[in-house]
Amino acid sequence: MLDMMADTSRRQFLTTVSAALISLTPAVMATGSEKPTKRYAMFIDVDKCYGCMACVIACAAENNVPLGSFRTWIEHLVKPDGVNIFIPKQCNHCDEPPCVPPCPTGATYKTADGLVLVNDELCIGCGACIKGCPYGARFINPVKGVADKCTFCDHRLAAGLLPACVEACPTGARVFGPLNEDNELSRTVRSRPVQVLKPHTGAEPQIYYNSLPDEVNR
Amino acid sequence: MLEYYFPNEAAEPLLWHPVLFAYTLLVSGADLLILVALAYLAGSLRRAIPLMTMLGIGFFTVVLAGPLADLRSPHRASLIFTQPHIVSTAANPGISLIALQSIAWLIALILSILFALLTFSYYSHQVFQASTGFRKTFYRVFSLGVNTSEKYRSVEKVAKIVAVLMLPFLTLWGIYPSSLLIMQTWNPAWRSWSLLPVTYFADTFVVATALFMLVYFFWRSRSLEREVVVPVLKIHAAGSLSVAALTGLQMAVWWFWSPSTAEMVAPLIPMMYAVIAFLLLSFSLSLVSIRYPVMILAVSLVAITGTFTNKWNIIINAQLISKTGLAFLEVELKGLWLLDTVAPIALGVAVFIVLSTLFPLEVRESGE
Repeated sequence: MLDMMADTSRRQFLTTVSAALISLTPAVMATGSEKPTKRYAMFIDVDKCYGCMACVIACAAENNVPLGSFRTWIEHLVKPDGVNIFIPKQCNHCDEPPCVPPCPTGATYKTADGLVLVNDELCIGCGACIKGCPYGARFINPVKGVADKCTFCDHRLAAGLLPACVEACPTGARVFGPLNEDNELSRTVRSRPVQVLKPHTGAEPQIYYNSLPDEVNR
Repeated sequence: MLEYYFPNEAAEPLLWHPVLFAYTLLVSGADLLILVALAYLAGSLRRAIPLMTMLGIGFFTVVLAGPLADLRSPHRASLIFTQPHIVSTAANPGISLIALQSIAWLIALILSILFALLTFSYYSHQVFQASTGFRKTFYRVFSLGVNTSEKYRSVEKVAKIVAVLMLPFLTLWGIYPSSLLIMQTWNPAWRSWSLLPVTYFADTFVVATALFMLVYFFWRSRSLEREVVVPVLKIHAAGSLSVAALTGLQMAVWWFWSPSTAEMVAPLIPMMYAVIAFLLLSFSLSLVSIRYPVMILAVSLVAITGTFTNKWNIIINAQLISKTGLAFLEVELKGLWLLDTVAPIALGVAVFIVLSTLFPLEVRESGE
């Protein structure tokens, strides 16, 4: 009788554990292939930028960017016919970020929302991510001794605000939002011919441009 | 006309400092240990193995001192071992070569020390018998209980297994950091230097054998033994010729297949010519030294000058080419950069000197 009870309880135990494992498996698998809730991206209308540097200054003020380094900057191209073109640049928050694999401690990481960020507590300041970025968007913050870059102002996003550069742009050249939702950004990217910087790197950058001259695509 | 391109590069043109350049020279410790493992397995170069082992371990032990000095937050350096990015996840896709190499270093170092202990076990027992006090205790521990030549023969089999295990980890180091420069950076010169890993591998053998000959020359003074020198000279000659040929071939690849790259890397070309000249001279002197071993000092000094030039060109000059490929950035080295650069090498030499006082640099017979 006792043997039978023990056998039954063992069977019950095994059944319970198996059921628990089966129910847990999808949850564990989902962690690895989690779909982003949002996919933040930016569209920059080169035709609208006239190089006022408001975005550069707003970014520096908002993020306490050290002198001499830039989270965003504007390249100035003078075409042979004398036409001035201004191209704002920054971290592209790539889908396949080349800066993430080289990081030896995992300090540089991708969020579920598609942001590429740096965990200051894990960064050892080796500079591997800076060398790995094809866009020159990263730098060593001399004050903190860690890699620094654009965060899409994630602290402002958490408060429901736009990135400082987007808010400061007087011509609306920068459009920001989740690409996988119906908004001005996704409609613009879908409806207009857009380009990205250095597509040959395979980084799948998430800053989309229009009217991007070939000369800046280096 | 283009302005303001990649201003962050201008803020800090030389991100990886000359310390890293010194570090690449220390990688030759790994190559010496590769030579040791191969020679031990093949049963050749027996007379040279102890010196190579000590020199190799001396340099390989301190190899991480270079990048440690280059970190901006060195107090967090241990995170490379405690939180290595060696598994690809959704948040951290890819694998970090730096983390992988750090772990490979630890494994290779442990195996190398184990190999040295095994091969010096019978010697340690002999010294233990002739010693007193602390030395007696020290050598008793290092004898690992190997107190007869029969036991030593069994230990030799274990040492061969350890030598085999060492090889993959040390080979990873032989092509590092060239693999890092090509695979995980977007510097245009490094990315288009397709022959860099194989050149680097050959180059570290050149500097490894050159270092060996330099130390051997000053250690043995005028009683240089041909049976030790000649095999090393042959390896050195092959390495020197390979590096000179590969450097020339890389220049030809740029000129004939990618003129735009050739234009971009133009600031590197004069030093590449110098590297070819130095290494061809070292190759020629190696052939002469096979007949006149006293010439190994000249072989060594010329080769070390050539490899210094090569490493400086690859690490420092190539780093100054902008990621845009449009500019060659200028940099002024500041502070005690030379001292910083020499310090890790000096540390390696110091470890070697300590080891050389404890263990023999030459064997007469098996295990003695």
